[in-house]
Amino acid sequence: MFARAMPAPRRAGGVGGVTLGLAILGCALLVALLGPSLVPHDPLAQELAARNAPPDALHWLGRDHLGRDVLARLAAGTRISLAVAAGATALALLLGAGLGLVAEALGRWPSFLVFGAFDMVRAMPSILLALTLMVALGIGIWPLILALGVAFAPHVALVARAAWRREQAAGYVAAARVMGAPRLATLWRHVLPNIAGALVTQAAIIMPRAITTESVLSFFGLGVSPETPSWGRMISGAARFAESAPHAVLAPVLALCLVTLGFALAGDRLRLALDPLREGGR
Amino acid sequence: MSTLLPAALGLLRQALLLAGIAVTVFLLIRIVPGDVVDAMALEGNLDDEAIAALRADLGLDAGALVQLRIWAGRALVGDFGDSLRFDRPAAELILAAAPTTIGLAALALAFGLALGIALATAAVLWPRSILPGLVEALNLWSIALPTFCVGLAAILVFSVWLGWLPVMGQWLSPVIILGIDIGGQIAKPLHEDLKETATAAHIRTARAKGLSPARIVLRHLLPNALTTVVALSGLILAGMIGGALTMEVLFGLPGLGTLAYQAISGRDYPVIQAVVLVFAAGVVVVNWLADVAQRALDPRQRA
Repeated sequence: MFARAMPAPRRAGGVGGVTLGLAILGCALLVALLGPSLVPHDPLAQELAARNAPPDALHWLGRDHLGRDVLARLAAGTRISLAVAAGATALALLLGAGLGLVAEALGRWPSFLVFGAFDMVRAMPSILLALTLMVALGIGIWPLILALGVAFAPHVALVARAAWRREQAAGYVAAARVMGAPRLATLWRHVLPNIAGALVTQAAIIMPRAITTESVLSFFGLGVSPETPSWGRMISGAARFAESAPHAVLAPVLALCLVTLGFALAGDRLRLALDPLREGGR
Repeated sequence: MSTLLPAALGLLRQALLLAGIAVTVFLLIRIVPGDVVDAMALEGNLDDEAIAALRADLGLDAGALVQLRIWAGRALVGDFGDSLRFDRPAAELILAAAPTTIGLAALALAFGLALGIALATAAVLWPRSILPGLVEALNLWSIALPTFCVGLAAILVFSVWLGWLPVMGQWLSPVIILGIDIGGQIAKPLHEDLKETATAAHIRTARAKGLSPARIVLRHLLPNALTTVVALSGLILAGMIGGALTMEVLFGLPGLGTLAYQAISGRDYPVIQAVVLVFAAGVVVVNWLADVAQRALDPRQRA
């Protein structure tokens, strides 16, 4: 179905694909920043008389099962879903790369312990791990960011370790060591800038997964609190009324698909090199 | 001998991992404020005395470490305790749910492998056709579209609008959705692998001998690519467990995912622990098997 639009010899994520992906992500970012103030409806205001009303001139995407404006909720949800995913990705990078690299720099035993813990986390499907963590932490935006960050950290740690080991073989690390630079200082000043590219790639891989996992968790009733308008909460609330108001389910589902597609297209070049989640990380 | 020792060491490592996971999950669930008795007290009005009696009855009044020791001792012989909700052994609930999950995973993997291998092979045979583009498109599909979204979209289109399929309890949609996802993940790396192998010397010899392209692909190219498929399958199967969990809840299939979902929302500790452990054991075993199979299939990795 894509093949007709994209001629066979060219890569699916060619220059056009990357541009399209960046455009989608740019729009999503704009909606997240400006959207809630542009839509003239309150995402939380209920109008029970207009439950499940189809789209009309005033409410472009219709109303949901409590008579709330779907477009306003979609805009507010974009902000929340993107913020949660960005927070979780930042935490995953910090935890994974930070802990992993420091442990690796400190020597054999710290590295063994930290990566043993990461291996444990990795042996659990990330959805199940996040579900368990959400049970322990309770629902809400901050617990959600924490749970997702922990669930995705091990993948970052593996990539960071692989990059670190590759850099270890490079002359400049040996030179810094010979000159008596402390290990952690070498890590910070010399190695980190060199592996930053690999970490950015990881961010582009983790971000869409965090968005999806957030939706699944909220759909299960364990993500953000019920009144918070995130995409997953919108889907779970409207799913029971899919027969009478399919528009209220379709809007957040399409938004989710569009953003993940945007990341896939834009991240295609980045992803080529390192993806332990898909290509076998060890 | 040279294959047995690494395999045994790998198994030992995985067993240690599992033990670590068991202890972590056990302690993690117990730091949660509010246990099953609190949840029950909210639903039906229990007085303080009844609450204390219920806690003592369920063994929840002992310290976490004591509970851990008792639980670990029993878990080693396959006794995961009784479900706090259903008054049945957790192991029994798991055994009842496992066939659904295993069946779903096996069917989806079979469909995905067939799709991915057929497409990648055909794309090597006819490189000027639309097929290589289709490999790319399928790969983009599986990266870009989460199975959760595709599942919801399928419910909207095929169940709500067209009315062709029931929403709950059908296998067709989840198997096809997971299968397409797997096919997309396999087709592209396999296609690259096949294209690379196609330039190898033994393939040139086979071609010079006058063998037909179909025969070259089936007898000489595909056996070589088998290690790629096995390695990918291990990773994909481990990754798919999460997807299968979501699909089960979405389509109302009574498997381990649904069991985990119900246990988590009901604070049913013994069942949560048992399910998480079973899932983790599944991932660990699949990874180990893929590792062993890869080593057995590829003599170059035995050194």
